Amino acid sequence: MAAALLSVGGVTKRFGGVVANLDVSFDVAPGELIGLIGPNGAGKSTLFEIITGFCQPDAGEVRLEGRRLAGLSPDRVSRLGVGRTFQKLRPFPGLTVVENVMVGALQKCHEVRRARQEAIEVLARVGLEDKADAHARTLSTGQRKRLELARALAARPRLLLLDEVTGGVDQRSIPGLVSLVRDLHRNGLTLIVIEHNMRVITAVCQRILALHLGQIIAEGPPAVVTRDPRVVEAYLGQVYGGSRR
Amino acid sequence: MRRTDLGAIVLFGAAALAPLVVRNAFLLDALILILLWGSLAVAWNVAGGYAGQVSLGHSAFFGLGAYAAALLGTRWDVSPWIGLIVGVALSTGAGLALGYLSNRLRGPYFVLATIAFSQVLLIVASRWRAFTQGSEGIPVPFRPGVWTLGFSDKTPWVYIMLALAVFAYLVQRYLEVSRLGYLLAAVREDEDAAQALGVPSRWLKVAAVAVSAALASVGGTLWAQYVGFVDPFYVFSVDLSVRFALAAIIGGVGTALGPFLGSILITTLETYLRATFGGIGAGFIGIYLIIYGTLLILVVRFVPEGLAGGLAARLVRRAPSTPA
Repeated sequence: MAAALLSVGGVTKRFGGVVANLDVSFDVAPGELIGLIGPNGAGKSTLFEIITGFCQPDAGEVRLEGRRLAGLSPDRVSRLGVGRTFQKLRPFPGLTVVENVMVGALQKCHEVRRARQEAIEVLARVGLEDKADAHARTLSTGQRKRLELARALAARPRLLLLDEVTGGVDQRSIPGLVSLVRDLHRNGLTLIVIEHNMRVITAVCQRILALHLGQIIAEGPPAVVTRDPRVVEAYLGQVYGGSRR
Repeated sequence: MRRTDLGAIVLFGAAALAPLVVRNAFLLDALILILLWGSLAVAWNVAGGYAGQVSLGHSAFFGLGAYAAALLGTRWDVSPWIGLIVGVALSTGAGLALGYLSNRLRGPYFVLATIAFSQVLLIVASRWRAFTQGSEGIPVPFRPGVWTLGFSDKTPWVYIMLALAVFAYLVQRYLEVSRLGYLLAAVREDEDAAQALGVPSRWLKVAAVAVSAALASVGGTLWAQYVGFVDPFYVFSVDLSVRFALAAIIGGVGTALGPFLGSILITTLETYLRATFGGIGAGFIGIYLIIYGTLLILVVRFVPEGLAGGLAARLVRRAPSTPA
């Protein structure tokens, strides 16, 4: 097996008495597309925060191609090739759509004019090119979602973490976003996606990690994980009348 | 060429021609102050407008610049040009320290820290009698010559302030079109999102505050040499900091021409008020605070994007009706 691109080992994070992540370990091979599922509060977003350097774990470590990310600032982690989107969308409201994406493009490209060109190309890929000169604050939620994706892509990451790509997006836009994610994967990008839409996740992911109360409770191909009784229980609660632990 | 550059050429061009036509010292004095306060509003704008690090303590850097040159000149007979450079060095250092604080304190807490910083300097300058002559202040002796910045005429001052203003304007334009400018805008709009895209926000904020401080210091040095007196209670005052911020806010936060438009309005108003009410008594001069307040409310209510922004929006709206 190829060396892991990302390696998460024994990550634990507590917020006061709440355990957000408990001894979470997994590897991501280059070119993989991994789905992260779990009910609300399972610790999915916290895990993203830890991988991207926005939050430091209490224990455990994150390695990118063997390099420890502990203590690195989020911008350093990003420049090492880890991109992300936010669950709660965070466009730069005062900038235009193309300027938003240019900020991403300018990470690798040091020339403003070329960055603009690249930004327009990325906008075309996500289907936002006709909105290029609109202010980001005028976009709908679905458009903002695509803007956020475009911005992250423009920085040309090697590993991209997507927090709820289809959440809050109207039904008609979902197939487009799904095929976009598939395209990115086919072109060699490694992705971890948090997703609540099971149909989406089973359609695109090769491997799924299920998180519950901060711990990984199941891991494997979509068909196996979604039928795992622990996963079903985590989502639906215990079977009525069943014994409590 | 952008519209703002056209405006700048008209504005600075008019200022350059003014001394050739205008001989009235009162008007030239107003022009000098407009350019100076405009440049100081720019200094504020670099940190507050472009980088989003709002300060109400920029008089600290203004005062450092004023004191550096005045002390070096009166105590060791050093040229104010050297004093200017020393002031810039001191202010850049102080700006780096304050900028570093901006990574610990966000929003209102940073604002409070900047106010506190300027007030600490005020206390030092007004109490350290042996070195700064305390609250008496320092008169800057008049010595004719370019090297000593002593001129019997206002004309050289117009060109010195104009050079500062043009430089300040160009700094802002650089911040609008350069890679650095885009990254800074991202930090201002949403720091976390900027970091997620690899923008080194901590470093950029510190650098922006330091550049802003250096610029304010140059303004302070030149002001002290022009006016000929350094009074700690004036140069380190919150009033002065507010004036820098106000000129930039009224003119248009984060716009290149805005600080100068704001300065024209505020400086003219103040000069007029001083000429009208100046003789009646110090108490009545406070009326400018009421007028500033009213002005600020009017601007925020009717042209929240500032004079420069409001003007631009109006021109754009009109654009389609004009024949191509």
